[in-house]
This record gives sequence, structure tokens and C-alpha cells, in this order.
Amino acid sequence: MAYAYLFKYIIIGDTGVGKSCLLLQFTDKRFQPVHDLTIGVEFGARMITIDGKQIKLQIWDTAGQESFRSITRSYYRGAAGALLVYDITRRDTFNHLTTWLEDARQHSNSNMVIMLIGNKSDLESRREVKKEEGEAFAREHGLIFMETSAKTASNVEEAFINTAKEIYEKIQEGVFDINNEANGIKIGPQHPTTNSTLSGSQGGQHAGGGCC
Amino acid sequence: MLAGPGNPTSPRQGVRKNLDFEPLSTTALILEDRPANLPAKPAEEALKHRQQYEEMVAQAKKRELKEAQKRKKQLEDRCKLEESIGTAAQIWNQEILPNWSALCTSRRVRDLWWQGLPPSVRGKVWSLAVGNELNITHELYSICLARAKEKWSSTSAHSLETEPEDISFLFHNSSLELIKLDISRTFPHLCIFQQGGPYHDVLHSILGAYTCYRPDVGYVQGMSFIAAVLILNLDTADAFIAFANLLNKPCQMAFFRVDHSLMLTYFAAFEVFFEENLPKLFAHFQKNNLTPDIYLIDWIFTLYSKSLPLDLACRVWDVFCRDNEEFLFRTGLGLLRLYQDVLTTMDFIHMAQFLTRLPENLPAEQLFQHIAAVHMTSRNRKWAQVLQALQKDPERGSPVLKR
Repeated sequence: MAYAYLFKYIIIGDTGVGKSCLLLQFTDKRFQPVHDLTIGVEFGARMITIDGKQIKLQIWDTAGQESFRSITRSYYRGAAGALLVYDITRRDTFNHLTTWLEDARQHSNSNMVIMLIGNKSDLESRREVKKEEGEAFAREHGLIFMETSAKTASNVEEAFINTAKEIYEKIQEGVFDINNEANGIKIGPQHPTTNSTLSGSQGGQHAGGGCC
Repeated sequence: MLAGPGNPTSPRQGVRKNLDFEPLSTTALILEDRPANLPAKPAEEALKHRQQYEEMVAQAKKRELKEAQKRKKQLEDRCKLEESIGTAAQIWNQEILPNWSALCTSRRVRDLWWQGLPPSVRGKVWSLAVGNELNITHELYSICLARAKEKWSSTSAHSLETEPEDISFLFHNSSLELIKLDISRTFPHLCIFQQGGPYHDVLHSILGAYTCYRPDVGYVQGMSFIAAVLILNLDTADAFIAFANLLNKPCQMAFFRVDHSLMLTYFAAFEVFFEENLPKLFAHFQKNNLTPDIYLIDWIFTLYSKSLPLDLACRVWDVFCRDNEEFLFRTGLGLLRLYQDVLTTMDFIHMAQFLTRLPENLPAEQLFQHIAAVHMTSRNRKWAQVLQALQKDPERGSPVLKR
């Protein structure tokens, strides 16, 4: 399937916050209550449409345990977007955000768009981190923020797509050098020039399976 | 699979003696006259319908017969397999195990070993092959377990007071917490390690005891899969002994301590044999920037137990116990060899997805044929020599991975 751009994403955050579940919900539109543990890295892909352009997302879903940090660090390279995930029902996963952010900033290119995600918003009764705290952290560090639920799919599409929109805007502004693949953006093999009727909505996503 | 020969649903019971039977009756295959309130069919049409009916019945019979023959063949194959497992179990139990040290390196035993260990002797052979260099006793296991239990009860009381300032301390201290989280994510489809499952506590105990036995290593993700496979084949204390000794092997230590530079050396050695065995695929991987860490990390950390069907993973473990770390990398090359044709048609993301989620119907016999076809010599050097040379080389490591 032809695409205008390919964006590399990386999903990071403590173990058990729901990184793989967010990915599965986004690519396969389903939720697995007990997901396999991720060792190393796993992958997902999906086509989305922004501003009438087909954009392929190539998503790297990483292992969350602290021991694996040195491995995860090598996967930031060439990422255009990062989803930094914490679990709103576990305060410690929120407390660790600063170290994740340091790692991300240090090992990625400076233009990488980071989306902060407070996951498991369906578990309101077990909430330990207020939404305002997430918002404040995001504001302070210049991140986009959303609360999501991989279980109910709430805001999952938006989280992935809004990140892509931000990257796309940066391309339009000329912030990203799209000819340098180290920025995590690749121009598609066939650059479509028409298709301008579908304008900037989330309506045109490529439906169905994870492959493109 | 894991059940021994005493499987309650023995295939023999279901064998049908007589294959010539009528098709299962369905209303579709019963020829009926028109209902009385409608005019009767003309003779010509009735005849045509009868002929059609008979054809349908004949076809259905043929199909049923074919399926019955297929089932019979499957049952025969299974009986043959069970018989051979039974015979092999007898040989292992009566001849090999009593004379282990004398026979374990003999040609005949090694050949038999390659074919896979019968599930009933698997645990015993694994234990013997892994050995107990660390001299762990059942008592030591009990001591470590008792210590872990002490910690569990004290951390649950303490956790509220811990300040979030010293994050590294928090991370280490939470390893007991992490074990709890991961156990439910270990072979979830088997439903035996999850909360309330029969092996939940055993898995918890072994991992907890290990963090007390080796606090310098602690709990690292991936361990729960190794412990789980051992639990399925050994009693708890023996599973712990095998677990600790297995993790103490050089390759496992390098990975579980996440010694990044030594891991890179292993990947580099793997690449030497990869290029040697599958030059075309190797070039394709390089062109697409698909580095071995992407798929090898999961394979090596869990010893294939997460990526391969469990019975096949156990067969890999069988030979891993015989041939050590070299066999893990050889298996990796066997997998790449098996899927070489399909992989060469894929781009980066499809290869990465394929290798991190291998097909469920992976053919066991074919895989082992491909593993057997992998040459583990490169310019007259064996695995250990290649690895050693790379370790000495200051410029060691895969050039792609060094960043």
C-alpha cells in the first residue's frame, strides 16, 4: 500500500502500564485482558490519513523493566514520535516519568514529538494520579497529554493520531528534515499528489489489521 | 504434549473397526415425497430427483469414507508416536539414566537425544545435563524461600513509607512487586500460573527465592518463562536448582545481567554464522537495517519458550541442555533458514513483526531439519572460538548496533 510518509514511533514507560495493550487496541481494535509480557521489542503498523495523505505508522513497543533501559535506548534512534505511558492507578509509574523523559530526550533527535499518556482511565475507582497532575507534568515539559483506556478504546485513536498530526505540522513548518531518515520520517515510495479531498480528519484511517 | 504416555484419552479407544458406514443422517439427505396437499411429482421428475438423491448420498459416503480414512491414519500416526515415545522412555529409564556419566556423551545417546526426550524423563535429563555446579541443596532453597517470604511481608508494610526520591532503590525494591505482576503474564493461555491457578504459588516461590539467592542479579523479565517451563517438568526444589544453575551459564548471565556489550558480542558472533549460512538473507537484513537484537533478545531471554509452541520449545531445550548456548543461536539460524524464502520478500516492519511473532503452526520436524542443516563452523572456527575472538577484539560487536 502506497504511503506519503512513514513515521517511526516508540512506546515507552514502566512495565505493566499497558503499552502493548494500547498498541493492540490501535492496530487490531481489540483488548486482551492478560497480555503476554514484552521481552525486548515488539512491533505494530497501521495506515492513517492526515490532511488527505496516507501515513504509515511503524510502532516499536518496548519492554518496560528498568533492567532493559540500556537496550531500549538504542531504539529511540530514528523515532519521530514517542508515547510515554504511565498507569493512573499506580503512582510509582508516574513518579518515574522524569527518568523516562531524560532517557528519551538524550537518545532521540530533539524534534521527536512526545505524547504523555495516562492509561487505564476506565479504572476510575483505583485512580492514584489525578488528571490535573498529568496535565501539569505535560505542560511543564512541553508534551502533549491525554488519558486513555486501552480497554474501552477511549482516546486511543486520538493519542496515536494527534501525535502524527503534530509531526506532520512540524514537517509542514520545515522543522523536520524529511530527507534525513534519522528523524524517523521516510517519504513513501510513491508520493501521492492528489487525494486532497480528504482533509485533516481522523475519518480516513485505514481500517482493519495491523499490516499495511 | 506435556502429558505423559498415560494420557487418559488414548487414541486407541476411538478406532472404528468398520469403515463402511452410512453417512450421518441429515434432513438434507432424506428423499421425501411432496406434502399431501400438493400435486404429486410427475414420474419423470421423481426419477430425476431420485437419481440426484442417490448421487448426493454416494458423494457424501465417499467424503465420509475419505475423512474416516484420514482420521484412521492420524490415529495410527499418534499410536506410532506414542509407542516410540514409550520405547524411548524405556531406553532412557532402564539403560541410559542408570549409567548416565558413562553414556551421556556416547554417539547413540546423543542421537537419541536429538530426537527429543520423552516427556516422562525430560526433567531428569535436564537436571543431569544442567548439573549443579552451584551445589544448591533443597535446604538452601528452603532458606532462600523463607527469606523471600520475610521480605514480602515486610515490604507490603513498608511500601507506604518509601520516599520516591531514590528511584533506583525503588526499582530494585519493587522487584518482588514486579514478580507478582509478571506471573499473571507468563503463559497466560495455559491458565495455570495465574492467580488461583495450580502453579501460581510455585512460580512465585522460585522467582522470589532466586532474588534472595542472587540479589546481585535479582528478578529480570524473561525469568518467569524459564522457571515456568522447569516447573512443568520438575519438582519445586529441583526446578529451583536447575533454574539457578541454568541462569549461571555464561550466555544466560550475560543476558540477565543485561551486560550490553557482552550481548552485542553474542549478536556479532551470531551474525558471523548468519552470513556464513544464509548470505542472501543476511544481505537482505542488512539492507533493511534489521539487527539481530530485534528478534534474538526475546528468543534468548526466554529460551524460545515464549516464541515457539511449548512442546517444540521443550525439544529445543532438550538439545540446548546437550549442546549449551551454541544451540540457542543455531536454533535461531534454523528459524531464519526455515523462513528464508518468505523473509526475503518482506520489508523491515513485516520481517520484524514476523520474527517477533512466529507462525503458530510452525512445523517442528521441518524446523529441526533446518537446524540440522546449519553449519556451526566459520573458517574452521567453532562457535566458542568465534565468540572468544570477538571478545578479545576491542572493536567487537556488531557495527550496526554500536551506537
